[in-house]
Amino acid sequence: MAERESRTGGSIDVGGRYDPIEVLGILAAALFWGWLGLRWLNDWFGGLFVREGQAFLPPSTFEFLPALAFAVEFAPELAAGVWLTVLLTIVGIALGFPIAIVLAGARVYGRTTRWVALGYIELVRGTPLLAQLFVLYYGLGLSSFIRELPGVGTVSVIPEQAVWVAMIGFTINSAAYQAEYLRGAIESVDPGQLRAARAIGLSQIDGIRYVVLPQALRYAIPGWTNELIYLIKYSSLAAFITVPELFNRASSIASENFRYLALFSLAGLFYLALVLTATNLTSRLEDRVAIPGLARRDERLRERSQ
Amino acid sequence: MSDPLLSVRDLRKSFGEEEVLRGIDFEMERRDVQVLMGPSGSGKSTLLRCVNRLSEPDDGTITLDGEDTAAMDENDLRRQVGMVFQGFNLFAHLTARKNVSLGLRRVRGFSKSETEERAEEELERVGLADQADSYPAELSGGQQQRVGIARALAMDPKLLLFDEPTSALDPELIGEVLSVMGELADDGMTMLVVTHEMGFAREAATDLLFLDDGTILERGPPTQLFESPEHERTATFLRRLTDLEAGQHG
Amino acid sequence: MIPAIPFVPSTPFVSLVPLGALADWGFVLGNADYLVGGLAITIALTVASILLGFAAGFPAGLIEVYGGHYSEAFVASLGVFFRGTPIVVIIIVMFFVVGISPAFLAATFALGLRSAAYQSQIFRGAIESVSGGQMEAARAVGLSRLQAIRHVIVPQALRRSIPGFQNEFTIVLKDTSIAFAIGLAELLTRSYDLFVQRTTAVLEIVLFISLLYFLLTFSTNRVLDALRERFVIPGGEG
Repeated sequence: MAERESRTGGSIDVGGRYDPIEVLGILAAALFWGWLGLRWLNDWFGGLFVREGQAFLPPSTFEFLPALAFAVEFAPELAAGVWLTVLLTIVGIALGFPIAIVLAGARVYGRTTRWVALGYIELVRGTPLLAQLFVLYYGLGLSSFIRELPGVGTVSVIPEQAVWVAMIGFTINSAAYQAEYLRGAIESVDPGQLRAARAIGLSQIDGIRYVVLPQALRYAIPGWTNELIYLIKYSSLAAFITVPELFNRASSIASENFRYLALFSLAGLFYLALVLTATNLTSRLEDRVAIPGLARRDERLRERSQ
Repeated sequence: MSDPLLSVRDLRKSFGEEEVLRGIDFEMERRDVQVLMGPSGSGKSTLLRCVNRLSEPDDGTITLDGEDTAAMDENDLRRQVGMVFQGFNLFAHLTARKNVSLGLRRVRGFSKSETEERAEEELERVGLADQADSYPAELSGGQQQRVGIARALAMDPKLLLFDEPTSALDPELIGEVLSVMGELADDGMTMLVVTHEMGFAREAATDLLFLDDGTILERGPPTQLFESPEHERTATFLRRLTDLEAGQHG
Repeated sequence: MIPAIPFVPSTPFVSLVPLGALADWGFVLGNADYLVGGLAITIALTVASILLGFAAGFPAGLIEVYGGHYSEAFVASLGVFFRGTPIVVIIIVMFFVVGISPAFLAATFALGLRSAAYQSQIFRGAIESVSGGQMEAARAVGLSRLQAIRHVIVPQALRRSIPGFQNEFTIVLKDTSIAFAIGLAELLTRSYDLFVQRTTAVLEIVLFISLLYFLLTFSTNRVLDALRERFVIPGGEG
């Protein structure tokens, strides 16, 4: 009957047949991340396979194609920067997330806490990220404080102090942006459901926890994807507080050999690969947690516009 | 004769300047089915919401089974008073089974297997055992409302409130919900129902309360109110309903 | 390029109490003129970038909806490039590789074209949200396709794009600070120049300019709110 048909609506499986473009994409992703993984392992353990920053194969192997030889020569150093880019992004979004939940909850359900949350969110969203990093790094001198902590800068696995400052900055920043996405998602859950939860005797907190949040978190995924992409790109600003992430490395190599275009194109490709991976993963996540019978938000919008 | 199950005394409620309920008095015995009718804005929904304290009354007392509801823990009160909503308000991310289970697990503290068994029973009671694993958006409006009823029943309520349970439904889906409600009435469930379904009122109601402008204008057995209402306003309202219904079904 | 970092404050948390007796607010106030000059450049850069973004982004949005196969693919891939690359990379490429100078112009092109890529998406979404029935109705009264777009679709789409536009405005405003990378003397760069001179006043200076940025984004948002109120279609959904 009509209501049963919708079950098959959201499926992406094309009856076991493989889409050649999708297969190519998966292969490319496996190659890229496999190579990155090996590079990182190599560098963390002080040159497991080759010397730190040196290509697995000598660039001269690719002399027939100068662009490729160039890429092979400098990609290893950029790969080390990609590690920090990925680290900053993941830490920013992961640590910002629980703070964002509290902020969004306060913003929607709080009384006095609503104003505290609003103030925080507006202040962070109303000032440039670079200025925030300056406050933490130069203004508060956080880095010299972190330098005193045990292990920092001496044990190779623990990143140096500037990285810590950047992680704190991105967490503070991302919490505010994620809170706004979450607030929108919470407000899009029909309030009647919370009323129904209260009507069977659940407390306000339990109603939010078991009924509102599970849905709001799903609705927040598109916003969350935006935030992830934002962080990948804006983690480049950590360069200005000395963090040797992807952009910083490309920039400092270019200042030696003046091949700006080539290096930034290479770095751009890395950023593109990160962004594509991120959007792909969140899109898969969204499909996986989709509520049967309910169209995904972008599909709903599309339907409405037709 | 024991105490009435529900007793409402001089209930008053205002929203801002507007006084929505201006002194409501009535009682319900166990197994009573009372139907509230009245023009929109007469305070029917507010009255229901005051009973389970989704709205806090401004004045007056409500006792449930001899206990003052104002002094009860609100979550405990709501466990004892079930509610079925006009807009169903099913939890959109949970299957029919899980919609019924949530309260069993989280409010009544049932074990997994008890919950499972009980949810199954309640869905069967509303004729939806075969749709237990469907999500709300996959169900018709009538089916969703029956899940809503099963969800309320699972809490073993002493009293069940219905807030216009069929008014959001297409006409052809109303019957299945009303017949479930009729069966509940036959089984002896105490029910306070806001509805404009005359057929249901005529067949299932022990009493009919006509609410107008925040007070109970008239009350009595449905046949009495339908055939010889005392007040002109009641008569006009019921006549209009009859005409509407004739137009709809005829 | 990344400026060489000349120092890191040596005593941790020395300036945690910026309002205390040791605070250097006098230094900030003494250089207020210099900072306000930077603020003027920030505002000018924002306005220039938004205008360039509109001039390029609006037609791009139209092309993405109504354009032919090739023009659409061209515009779409340019958009992916500008939206997928960090703005600091775009700014540096404009300045060092494309060689646009002075720095103000390079920053305008970088921020403006990147904004165009986002504005095109705002307009595309807004155009698509105007129902297809509007186009049919316009054609039915005898308007040509172009006339229908111009007199029926675009006026509605522009109103609907105000919220997205508002967001874009504050993003550009905040990102002008990244012109720091090419040494453009806008607000953030000037604050850096100052606190490098007076390392005891770092926190005061950065907080002061953050306040200026905040006041700017806050007041811009209020102005755009008022604009939206003014142009709302009575009874419509915006």
